[in-house]
Amino acid sequence: MNQKCAKKMERKLNKLKHVVFKETGIVCSLNPTNNIVICNAGLVNGLSEETILEHFSVYGTLNNIVLVPGKSCSFVSYVELDMACKAYEALNGQLPIAQDNKPVYLLYAERLPQHSIDSRKVWDELPGGLVILDDFITENEEKLLLSLCCFDDSLVSQMKNRQVRHFGYEFRYDNNNVDKDKPLDEKIPKECDFLWKRLHENTDWKQFVPDQLTVNHYSLGQGIPHHVDTHSAFEDPIMSLSLNSAVVIAFKRDDRDICVKLPPRSLCIMSGETRYDWTHGIIPRKSDVVLSNTGSYTLLPRGIRVSFTFRKIRQGECNCQYTRNCDSYIRKNNSELQIAASEIERLHVIDVYENIALHFNETRNKPWPNVLEFVNSFDVGSVMLDVGCGNGKYLGKNKHVFDVGCDTSCALLDVCKKNGFETFLTNCLQLPFKDAVADGVISIAVIHHLASEERRLQAIEEMIRILKVDGRALIYVWAKDQHKNNEKTSYIKQDRKNRKSDTDVVVADENSEAPVSKGMTLPVHVNRTQFKHKDVLVPWRLKNQQNTVEDTFLRFYHVFEENELSDLCSKLENVEIERCYYDQGNWCVVLRKTLIKNS
Amino acid sequence: MKLLTHNMLTSKCMKGVSVGYPLSIKALDIRTVEVEFNPEFVAKMIPKIDWAVLCSAAESLGKTELPKEVIDNYENDQDFLKKVHHILLEVDVIDGELVCPETGRKFPINNGIPNMLLNEDEIYL
Repeated sequence: MNQKCAKKMERKLNKLKHVVFKETGIVCSLNPTNNIVICNAGLVNGLSEETILEHFSVYGTLNNIVLVPGKSCSFVSYVELDMACKAYEALNGQLPIAQDNKPVYLLYAERLPQHSIDSRKVWDELPGGLVILDDFITENEEKLLLSLCCFDDSLVSQMKNRQVRHFGYEFRYDNNNVDKDKPLDEKIPKECDFLWKRLHENTDWKQFVPDQLTVNHYSLGQGIPHHVDTHSAFEDPIMSLSLNSAVVIAFKRDDRDICVKLPPRSLCIMSGETRYDWTHGIIPRKSDVVLSNTGSYTLLPRGIRVSFTFRKIRQGECNCQYTRNCDSYIRKNNSELQIAASEIERLHVIDVYENIALHFNETRNKPWPNVLEFVNSFDVGSVMLDVGCGNGKYLGKNKHVFDVGCDTSCALLDVCKKNGFETFLTNCLQLPFKDAVADGVISIAVIHHLASEERRLQAIEEMIRILKVDGRALIYVWAKDQHKNNEKTSYIKQDRKNRKSDTDVVVADENSEAPVSKGMTLPVHVNRTQFKHKDVLVPWRLKNQQNTVEDTFLRFYHVFEENELSDLCSKLENVEIERCYYDQGNWCVVLRKTLIKNS
Repeated sequence: MKLLTHNMLTSKCMKGVSVGYPLSIKALDIRTVEVEFNPEFVAKMIPKIDWAVLCSAAESLGKTELPKEVIDNYENDQDFLKKVHHILLEVDVIDGELVCPETGRKFPINNGIPNMLLNEDEIYL
């Protein structure tokens, strides 16, 4: 190095010394120690342990590599000082592994940073339920198994990351499950039978006999994304035999990351929490960094690896305790939720309207101007459906259209019939109309009575289904916020008036709750006040002709936050939101049906 | 229930039903209600409806005045439009039932209102 270059290098290193100190708080210098800091390459530049190991282990045994999250510097530590010195002399300003293949600049560090990304990576323990049996098969047996599976293109599916072949049952990657009633003609080869005899004789798994085999063929640099095998598809345990090459597999749960080396001919048994609750995956790369028993890092080059994964198809649903990854639990829970929701709607919406129908009819005569304007915007010969028409206050308003109402309340539809309106009884979740027959749909103050988001979305989906392309729907729901723009809605304003006439009504307790469905309770709303909760029971005081309260019924409401209605509508692909507004304590949208986008 | 409504009704939301159309009508009480005739409305409605389904529904109620095919130039034929107007809007099934063509499930019509409500075991949750 000439003098000019040396000067330049000195300046550069001096500058980097400050950068490293600022980023990590570690003092570094030109005075040799066992630790070398790579000042200008780290995780943010895409530097990996394996790259560091590949180049730095040439000069001696490493006992640590530290990549600092979010930083552009990294650290290596040698067992002996002279190894560090050799590496420093050879690599400083030379080794082109910094960004854009620029050379790295090195300094000696007084110590290593304490918190590294690898402090989460654990080598010396296994997750619960994981067993690795080394040398489960001999080299001859390995050869035999490898010969069973030729990977010629006509037999295998080419995956993004690897080649796979299935025996017994096809594993479908679209739904991550198997067609249990469609077994393949090709069963697990008989040549595998010795494995189970050996397993039963030597381990605690005395019963395990698989009926499904997936063979994965990993070329150099290939891996498999982190996953949990679908609970409802397979029993516990799952066994995987590694052939031809070792690999490091990672198990993750929460912030835990356990690295496990799978040598060739080893059997990896995943059971219990490993099978159900930990994900496992293989990073796509050409070699693995392995921490040896002596605490030093070595690079383990990969070869072509073939794994035989044996599983037993589960009949029925999974019943495990690891619910967060359990598809069976999630499905069951969801269907229980839907059952509870439909029960709430039956008791606290449908039955209530039936009971209060006549009184309700007397109080609901004035149509809202913005809804009328929408109804009147349809041309001669248009078909309109009023979903949840109640007493039919929007029916027959536009004389040029054919309008039909529907509702769950017999009593309210009888009122419609008396007024000469056409209706039918239905739940808004299943509209008994053909697809694409309506030019317009209105649904005023209806879907806030549905007790789950899935059901509210389903109701909107149904309205859109029966609309023609370019047809429009108007939806009104009650808003949680009854004080929009510092102005009280008439719902709140009516408070004083009502209390005066209802002096005999005990003011409801602000925190009262009422039972609704199996062990569930919901808060009871205080009439004419701002909403405190989103899912509430709103009392309806049934009055007789003398205007005295005869009975109180609790109606279920889900009151909507701002944007909630439009967010829900935008989940549908064939919908365009034309308008979204606030009208007298309600959130409102005008939707237009479109062709499905991008098709 | 008017025959125009019937022309759009289906039982396709039932579990296991794929088309559910048309529903057959078993009428016990049919009445005629007078509705103001609007030729423009009827002319616009004709291309929107399933004509064959309208004809067979009318026939099942003993109304045979409609031709099997929509006539040419119907927009200007007042007599034809009046006939269609009558069948679409003035015939009202007050009592009876609608029957699903695939499952035979009956939907009662009371007071002119078809009850299309499905039981929980008839729908997909």
